[in-house]
Amino acid sequence: MSTGQGDVEDLLRELAPQVLAALVRRYGQFHLCEDASQEALLAAALQWPSGGRPENPRGWLITVASRRLMDQIRSEQSRRTREELIAIATPQSELLGPPADAEPADGDDSLALLFGCCHPDLSSPSQIALTLRAVGGLSTAQIAAAFGVPEATMAQRISRAKQTIGDSGFDFSLPAGAERTERLRAVLHVLYLIFNEGYTATDGDALTVPALAQEAIRLTRWLHWLLPDDGEVTGLLALMLLTDARRPARTRPDGSLVPLAEQDRQKWDQAQISEGIALISAALPHGEVGPYQLQAAIAAVHDEARTMADTDWPQILGLYDLLERIAPNPFTALNRAVAVAMVHGPDAGLEVIATLAAEKPMAQHHRLLAARAHMQELAGDTDAAAADYLDAARRATSLPERRYLALQATRLTRDGTVRPEGIMTRQARSAAGPASAADG
Amino acid sequence: MKYLMLIYGNQEKWASIPAEEWPAAIAKQDAFNRKYQATGELIVAYGLADEVQAKLVRRENGQPAVTDGPYLETKEYIASFYLLDCESEERALQIAADMPWADVDPVEFWPIMHEAKPDL
Repeated sequence: MSTGQGDVEDLLRELAPQVLAALVRRYGQFHLCEDASQEALLAAALQWPSGGRPENPRGWLITVASRRLMDQIRSEQSRRTREELIAIATPQSELLGPPADAEPADGDDSLALLFGCCHPDLSSPSQIALTLRAVGGLSTAQIAAAFGVPEATMAQRISRAKQTIGDSGFDFSLPAGAERTERLRAVLHVLYLIFNEGYTATDGDALTVPALAQEAIRLTRWLHWLLPDDGEVTGLLALMLLTDARRPARTRPDGSLVPLAEQDRQKWDQAQISEGIALISAALPHGEVGPYQLQAAIAAVHDEARTMADTDWPQILGLYDLLERIAPNPFTALNRAVAVAMVHGPDAGLEVIATLAAEKPMAQHHRLLAARAHMQELAGDTDAAAADYLDAARRATSLPERRYLALQATRLTRDGTVRPEGIMTRQARSAAGPASAADG
Repeated sequence: MKYLMLIYGNQEKWASIPAEEWPAAIAKQDAFNRKYQATGELIVAYGLADEVQAKLVRRENGQPAVTDGPYLETKEYIASFYLLDCESEERALQIAADMPWADVDPVEFWPIMHEAKPDL
């Protein structure tokens, strides 16, 4: 692919939400507008690389998309009535070109589009799919490939989501006050989920399986540009950058995962770390501290340490204390227990874990078992550690994680007394490959 | 997360259903399939051919070797399988419980292993 074509693609991805937002703002009817803007983007992708880029790409796309929309509406119902309806529904100012010195108003439109895609009536997979399609400008086939489902399944999911939005009426006014905070939280959660989904062990061809982590960073960066003063948006962007910076060290050439403690920190992306630290340092002193900012701050402390031993664990523990207070969650509590073990020793960590294990949903969770195994090993109780690693491996559903945990169990039992029979049969069944690691 | 659902049966069991009840039974299953395909959560649903059509395939000295079998020790064998993709295990279990004959025979439910890293 020539760079020219790549540039056109990047430009189109950037313009996609703006074009769709402009159309929905003018004509309503999310479903039809989405089809029309997809067609316009496709036409541009075909024509621009060879025929040259128009002087005003955004205007070109909106014009072409509007024409396609008219074509669709004409074919749907009697031409005259529909055109009249649209003409009446269109504010006069929208029919005129904007004055040359006008500020582009696309920010609000695109933001409304993002809020609409994360509508509370939609299930979380639908929010994600619709956001990637309407705001991210990815094709249905690309989204389906990224989530490992057939294209037909994803098409259905997106089509249902569009219908739901259509049924409840696409509200293009930005919510205000408490509702705005609530809806923005949903938007951030969707972006966070997209980023997390991006942690696949294999890097697919960017054209067929887009790098979802990169896509999430791109969208969050854009959201941060629209809402530069929102601490949690800044926090989420920083968290993504600081976590993604470790990507080069997180996998071995065979695709297996390397845990944080064993990563070659020379490979971390220093430019991304600097950007993330600058963002979170600027956000933290202002206003209310939220969970994304705290998680970013924790990631920053890890990223600043040259070695695992240099890690400022007391500071991490302090941040987890805060995080547990404002956003309590079993996994935060578990991470805090690990920090307690690093600061006050494995026995103190095991005490915290014991209280967590008393609660049913966590008691049998593989991450609790793995953390307990690690502390038991540090405390010198190898048998208990091996048994917990074994149990954790059985309960993990991620293949790389199961391989890593199984390896830890066999490592501890090779010269010990526990026989890892369960692991071996399980490993044979899942055709386990080379060893890999859990946390990173 | 993806999940596999299996239901089991055998000829004896199916033969016990009167012929006139089959259309209603099939309609029930079709309705279930359509319902969850529409939500995008049911990826595939297929019934399997009879036990006598099943084969065992091996490779011997680099050549494929196909024999009859498996000769099952269990009385019932896999009748159909369903692949789900759901937001949570809770939701997938809900769908499993909604299977047309879950009130008669249990649905076997298996979480599917995947390559993705589960969290940060």
